[in-house]
Amino acid sequence: MAKDPVRVLVTGAAGQIGYALVPMIARGVMLGPDQPVILHMLDIPPAAEALNGVKMELVDAAFPLLKGVVATTDAVEACTGVNVAVMVGGFPRKEGMERKDVMSKNVSIYKSQASALEAHAAPNCKVLVVANPANTNALILKEFAPSIPAKNITCLTRLDHNRALGQISERLNIQVSDVKNVIIWGNHSSTQYPDVSHATVKTPSGQKPVRELVSDDDWLKGEFIKTVQQRGAAIIKARKLSSALSAASAACDHIRDWVLGTPEGTWVSMGVYSDGSYNVPAGLIYSFPVTCRAGEWTIVQGLSVDEFSRKKMDATAEELTEEKALAYSCLS
Amino acid sequence: MSSLSLFQRIVIRCGLTSCRSMEKQPVKIMVTGAAGQIGYALVPMIARGVMLGSDQPVILHLLDIPPAAEALNGVKMELIDAAFPLLKGVVATTNVEEACGGVNIAIMVGGFPRQEGMERKDVMSKNVSIYKAQASALEQYAAADCKVLVVANPANTNALILKEFAPSIPAKNITCLTRLDHNRALGRIAQRLNIHVSDVKNVIIWGNHSSTQYPDANHAAVITQAGENSVKELVADDKWLHDEFISFVQQRGAAIIKARKLSSALSAASAACDHIHDWVLGTPKGTWTSMGVCSDGSYGVSPGLIYSFPVTCNKGDWSIVQGLRIDEPSRARMDATAKELIEEKTLAYSCLD
Repeated sequence: MAKDPVRVLVTGAAGQIGYALVPMIARGVMLGPDQPVILHMLDIPPAAEALNGVKMELVDAAFPLLKGVVATTDAVEACTGVNVAVMVGGFPRKEGMERKDVMSKNVSIYKSQASALEAHAAPNCKVLVVANPANTNALILKEFAPSIPAKNITCLTRLDHNRALGQISERLNIQVSDVKNVIIWGNHSSTQYPDVSHATVKTPSGQKPVRELVSDDDWLKGEFIKTVQQRGAAIIKARKLSSALSAASAACDHIRDWVLGTPEGTWVSMGVYSDGSYNVPAGLIYSFPVTCRAGEWTIVQGLSVDEFSRKKMDATAEELTEEKALAYSCLS
Repeated sequence: MSSLSLFQRIVIRCGLTSCRSMEKQPVKIMVTGAAGQIGYALVPMIARGVMLGSDQPVILHLLDIPPAAEALNGVKMELIDAAFPLLKGVVATTNVEEACGGVNIAIMVGGFPRQEGMERKDVMSKNVSIYKAQASALEQYAAADCKVLVVANPANTNALILKEFAPSIPAKNITCLTRLDHNRALGRIAQRLNIHVSDVKNVIIWGNHSSTQYPDANHAAVITQAGENSVKELVADDKWLHDEFISFVQQRGAAIIKARKLSSALSAASAACDHIHDWVLGTPKGTWTSMGVCSDGSYGVSPGLIYSFPVTCNKGDWSIVQGLRIDEPSRARMDATAKELIEEKTLAYSCLD
């Protein structure tokens, strides 16, 4: 008894993140190896031929789970009936650009896509914004799609979360799957706060705190944070293009854990609508530690926050508040 | 300690850090040309278990040429950033010996990509010397019984060169990719019949991964609830099967280039995973696939050519499906593509002088 297909929208699908992402979705990385999918791919008219090329390749790959492909430049057609929307479309960050540089271009995009999603997506559509500035694009989308529950609009900080896991595993020379419970607080930008205060490593004698095993707080509070914050720029420097493979993979992880649940004892990082937890201003899209169950995320409560962390968390909240003001000024 | 199983105690005493139950030993997989676009599509697929199964840990060996070293390192960085549970290590190098060291599977993507307007023969001479050099490295440094898949075009002839210059690698371990054409053929039939691609099976790609390949639907079947039906019968349009369908599949690579301004990467990478997956883990019962393999003379194809045949796979070995009836038009096409392969072989050898 095969499951009914889930419709997954990818915007900006003709670009390089889309190209990395769609085969992952079609192979079941996002929703599980037994979940058929129908892909809706959207891009702008100048990319129509390239977009069709992506559709052709998806057909050529004969994916057993892929039950249909809609490739279109029409936002209404793209959004119709979708259960999951991964918003990759926007202007890619180029070498030297900060995320704020691309803000104004993206704000108007997200305002119009908010309307299309609200009017045409399936009820309870889960939205993941990837395109930068991710948090603020998600906020704009939320503001202009008021009938989509705020909890359904998220942004991607799983990439930073995974990067943090990777840096710890490299430092300790262990498998990345043995590290868990890092936190990315705040904005998917250079003010994000990668926090390992509560992170642990699986050892033969049980879970051990990362702080203890690394045994170098200077590194954890200095270089480690900087490396994770600046990793996007480092990838651009090496590849001359922004991260696609790892961003696409993180997008799959984000949706998969959201829909299928986080493992027991493990949390992940997601940019979600703040309810004021941890004294983060309500109404921002802010990355928190969350667990997921039955298709819902819940902020992990009660984690101790030391002074160092408090400052960093406030700084990134401040930046988000500034971005919000900047975004609204673009709309006037 | 007393609450631990005997196995766990042995594991700890041996100094192993993983106390997960019975994880498989990692398989080492080399990808050449790994900084290019096929490599970039392929490595996350491998790291997610698409190639060898969701319970098979892997170690990736990535090779490219020195001008691509920084980009290659960028790929390694992204693989680390993706925190793939199955990925137990990444070696990114421009040194072919280091790349080949201990690898169990080698995916040879490295070569010159075909540009708009170029035929595969145009890139032949550039690639022949590459494959001669890499043959030596593989032969010396790869693990015993390493399985090799050549993707870079001209795939069949690159594989032939590799085979000729790595004589201690069993000829049966050197293959080339026609699974992309096979999957394209399945997709086209599915579109024509308005059914799902996973309900079509047993097309055949005969011959060269080029515009002379012969996509053969004569023995293809559609799976329905009431059993299997012949594609020929359901399509009920032999003219289409003999002309348009064949041209479509033959020219599809060019059509992708026209649309994307780049050659197929996503679908090629996916097909490479399918090829290795079926080779290592076996084909489903009643289903064959297409692989470019060393001809043993079956179906009147010159022995020693790397020629695409219908094969089944079991326990890590492929076998050519025997006894399929070959009609006259098929014979002519199969011979034409064999002829091209013989010409390519001659051309390749002339490049070596």
